[in-house]
Amino acid sequence: MSRPGISRTVLAVYILTAAGTAIWLSAIFLAPVLAARGSVGPARLLYEAFSPICHQIPERCLTFHGQPLAVCGRCLGIYTGFAAGLVLYPFLRGFSKLKLPSVRVLLPLTLPMALDGAAGVLGIWTSPIGARFATGIVWGTLLPFFFVTGLADLLLTRRKRAAARPLEKNRANDVE
Amino acid sequence: MDQKKPEYLRPALIAGAVAGVLSGLPLVSSGNCLCCLWIVGGSVLAVNLLAKHTAGVLTSGDGAIVGAFTGIVAAVIDTLISIPLRPFNMELANRVMRKVSELGYDMPSNLDGYLGGGAGIPSPGLFLLGLFLTAVVFTVVGVLGGIIGVSILSKNRPQPSPPAAPPPAPEVPQDAA
Repeated sequence: MSRPGISRTVLAVYILTAAGTAIWLSAIFLAPVLAARGSVGPARLLYEAFSPICHQIPERCLTFHGQPLAVCGRCLGIYTGFAAGLVLYPFLRGFSKLKLPSVRVLLPLTLPMALDGAAGVLGIWTSPIGARFATGIVWGTLLPFFFVTGLADLLLTRRKRAAARPLEKNRANDVE
Repeated sequence: MDQKKPEYLRPALIAGAVAGVLSGLPLVSSGNCLCCLWIVGGSVLAVNLLAKHTAGVLTSGDGAIVGAFTGIVAAVIDTLISIPLRPFNMELANRVMRKVSELGYDMPSNLDGYLGGGAGIPSPGLFLLGLFLTAVVFTVVGVLGGIIGVSILSKNRPQPSPPAAPPPAPEVPQDAA
């Protein structure tokens, strides 16, 4: 799909997403640093921020400065993969077109993590942190190709609808 | 592309309520530890509901909006459900910590102070802060889920059929004139 002004919009979304990812990853590593320094309040705030989306079980978290990271190994893999995907984005997709990855790509990249996670929940096997991290990275790498494309499309669609509104009003006035 | 704005709110309310309840219930909420299953799943459900009530083809931008709304609704419901269940969740977290210690893993000595917080009812400030943080995280994940939903469901959705060709003109005999 190619639309006027697409490159600038995708680039803007890309830069904002990259900045957000950097802040997100920094917060994950900042929590244990603050905990190690004894800053209880800020450390608790950061751990709490990530608690709705991660179990934070210490034995499944990598440690930094002797304290567990704010998310588990699998989540860290997903976010690291997301950052890696952002690095790959300009080379694989570029900024001049909007196209979501196909389900045929999504499924095989999701499968290793889904199987590993489901087996863990069902108690079939317990994989080491390294395997969780690796399967997370594989899935996470694909996510920016959805996220950046979707947000850029959202902005372009809103702009197009906003531009169409006065025309529709004029047409309605003409009819009256 | 259909220029008419789809109706995002109703699918987001339904799917967000489902995702929020699943995210707030003890044990069941651990589904979110598996690539934010409930929030991503809720957003995909919202896209599915939206697709059923929208005439045109959904764009990934539509998926992003309905996913964001779903994440916000889920965050509110999750936070509200979590208040009465907080003591139970704390007990569960403590049990996990004890189990981990029994298995021989080294636990940082001051970890209790960082993970979980207090078991009582949180202050209004802490409640609002928790709601805000959960809403931000769930919104981002919801956006992602909505876009993935569009990608998945657009494959299964029947494309609008092209306009029917006009019927062929009746043959007029050459000698009729």
